[in-house]
Amino acid sequence: MLARNAEGLYWIGRYLERARHGCRLLAEQISALEDQPVEQIDRNWRRLYRAVGRTPIGGELVSNGDDDFMLADAYTLTDDLTFERNNPDSIRNCVANARENARQVRNVIADSLWSCLNLAWLDLSEVGIEAIWTDRPEVFYERTENAIRTFSGVAESAIYRDDPWQFLKLGRFIERTQLLAALLDAHIALFPTDDPHHESDWRSLLQVCEAEFAYRHLYSLRHRPRFVIDFLVVDARLAHSIRYALARIVEALDAVSGGRPLESAPGRRAGRMVAAIDYDWPERAREDDAATQAALEDVRTSCRNLHDEISATYFDYEIEDTP
Amino acid sequence: MSTTSGGQTGSEGAGPANGNRLFAGYATRDEFYDEMFEAPGVPRPHCRELCEALDRMSAEEIAAMQEYAERSFLQQGITFAVYGEDDAQERIIPIDFLPRLLDAADWSLIERGLRQRLEALNRFLGDVYGQGHILSEGVVPTELVRGCPQYRSEMQGLHVPHGVYVAVCGTDIVRTNNGFAVLEDNLRVPSGVSYMLANRRALKSSLRNLFRRHHVRRIDHYGRLLRQTLEELAPAGVTDPCVVLLTPGVFNSAFYEHMFLAQEMGVELVQGSDLVVHNGFVYMRTTAGLRRVDVIYRRIDDDFIDPLAFRADSLLGTPGLFHAYRLGNVTIANAPGTGVADDKSVYAYVPDMIRYYLAEEPLLANVETHLCCTPDGLAYTLDNLDRLVVKMVGESGGYGMLIGPHATPEEREAYAKQIREDPANFISQPVLDLSVSPCHTDAGAAPRHVDLRPFALRGRETRLVPGAFCRVALVEGSLVVNSSQGGGGKDLWVLSG
Repeated sequence: MLARNAEGLYWIGRYLERARHGCRLLAEQISALEDQPVEQIDRNWRRLYRAVGRTPIGGELVSNGDDDFMLADAYTLTDDLTFERNNPDSIRNCVANARENARQVRNVIADSLWSCLNLAWLDLSEVGIEAIWTDRPEVFYERTENAIRTFSGVAESAIYRDDPWQFLKLGRFIERTQLLAALLDAHIALFPTDDPHHESDWRSLLQVCEAEFAYRHLYSLRHRPRFVIDFLVVDARLAHSIRYALARIVEALDAVSGGRPLESAPGRRAGRMVAAIDYDWPERAREDDAATQAALEDVRTSCRNLHDEISATYFDYEIEDTP
Repeated sequence: MSTTSGGQTGSEGAGPANGNRLFAGYATRDEFYDEMFEAPGVPRPHCRELCEALDRMSAEEIAAMQEYAERSFLQQGITFAVYGEDDAQERIIPIDFLPRLLDAADWSLIERGLRQRLEALNRFLGDVYGQGHILSEGVVPTELVRGCPQYRSEMQGLHVPHGVYVAVCGTDIVRTNNGFAVLEDNLRVPSGVSYMLANRRALKSSLRNLFRRHHVRRIDHYGRLLRQTLEELAPAGVTDPCVVLLTPGVFNSAFYEHMFLAQEMGVELVQGSDLVVHNGFVYMRTTAGLRRVDVIYRRIDDDFIDPLAFRADSLLGTPGLFHAYRLGNVTIANAPGTGVADDKSVYAYVPDMIRYYLAEEPLLANVETHLCCTPDGLAYTLDNLDRLVVKMVGESGGYGMLIGPHATPEEREAYAKQIREDPANFISQPVLDLSVSPCHTDAGAAPRHVDLRPFALRGRETRLVPGAFCRVALVEGSLVVNSSQGGGGKDLWVLSG
């Protein structure tokens, strides 16, 4: 397929995954505003900002422990992460960018798929923080997340499984891997695994990752930090685990390379990332949060490299040596 | 007209809620041909059934259908971009829900007239970029052609497949009390065909029963015909040619149409940066390396095709593309330089071209045109400024135009000064008594001026779908139908048999 279109689909995958992730994080945080102590809410905001790699407006987050102050803060921070036009990763911008990319690749995706995104965008572009704050903000996040899920569902049934599908998938799962690694790192930084006071935060982490239900069934109602971490990293049957996302990346690269993934840099990189989770991850010093964070940092670095290699192999390659 | 409330008419015939029948206050006027009524309250025979059915609907019903259609255009992204304000805005071309009907005889005349005209225009282009017989024999003044800004000397002596320069032509046709006339030949990158198809889809779903009963001829195979036409124009020896549509990009006001046509044809939509010229051949960048391109349906102006051949500051084009074209390794449709034949001055000579190349009388008339580059034309134009429409030769889209009767004496004087400074840049035409067609307004149906732009395709043969983008001047009394100036669209129904 046309390289520019492949790149467009790849970015649709990335932006929608990023928007979805933002919706879940914010929905979780908004529900915490109802009953959590102020100190806890502040810590959650720090985790959230660290997870998305953004510095809050005005630099550091400061709190004086006051409820009104906390709520005013929450309003500003929610706006910053949801609607802020100057925040390239705000949910609004992610949906706008996904839709703009879709507008340019309409002829390689189904009309139904384009309409999905266009409708989601038309809906979203009509509201702002005032509107969702006076209403119930969580409804907005749920609606936006549902629009993205609808997109995935329609894609699932309407896209022919050749290159457009694979590049969409590639974007989505590279983004997912990177976001998961960043979120886990931020979570560990603010809620150390040996601190027994944060069990509910580990549960909330599972909820953000749509993993709480599965965890409860497989393990127990006790949310033990290191179990949770391993679950979100290595369980290949959990849709929001790093190992699961890597498996999808490997599949997609296998397909777009015509079954010869090891002949190009992205295929080799993805293979090494899988090996690192399968072979190196279990052997790290499990008790040592720093070792876990270092391993997660490796995942993030690899993702960035993988992105560059995909771009250089499929989108923006040199043309001297071809025909 | 019947005022009984329906039931027998199916879903459209719910009947008016009260006395506000659609055509109740509709006034016809003798000076304008009315597309639907031959006399006050008397529909033309081919419009009678439609008229009666529409009259049974309330204005609210029509308004609701119209609103639904416009909302669905927005949701589907059937928009064009308007620049000038802070952000580029995506707008829809307003649709008027009352269709315009053409009977079989009228369409047949238009179709035969367009075939004839397109044939002559292609021969003319082959001639002026070849031996130039029509110039040396003095039928068309040489300086008019060679001095035209759209003349491309780079095209001189080049052979194009099947002698086809203009593969896609969108001709603006008006109807006056004297019958049909061609207002303008659009031979470069004519647009609007997507609105023809979108308006049809919108109307078809809302007026399904009426549509069936009228035996409206189909137009939905346009994409297939376009692809077939383009494939036929592939360089000699290429089987199974790779066709692409070249767009200036997402910021172009007609981007939606480019996307739509690429989709209808099942071809890639490319930008200049997606194409690479290597050893005289054109390729597109795919995820699996370079792929050869044989036919480019370009929706980008001549100047921007290739920075090496035309405008050097263009970022839109593909360096070396024109070289590949000259070598005959790729087809560009429409060919560069076709603008010399739709220039507003050269236009005046199209009837002579038809007589010269085909030895036939033109089936479709031209609008009487006075060229200010001739002494007579200049004098006539200046003397009659209050009765004429004056256009700049190089402008399109209704810009830079003076409508004499609507202008103040000061405006006319200022315009006259411009004409005297550069007469060759102006032509004048009488104010046309454009036909009117009923349009839906807040006060029921009211007459508005319309024209039509059918699209003719030329590959090995000429093909047309029986339909057109029907443009309508939505402002009462306005004669300007251009989308960029407040015009809207209507569905045009060509009736069979």
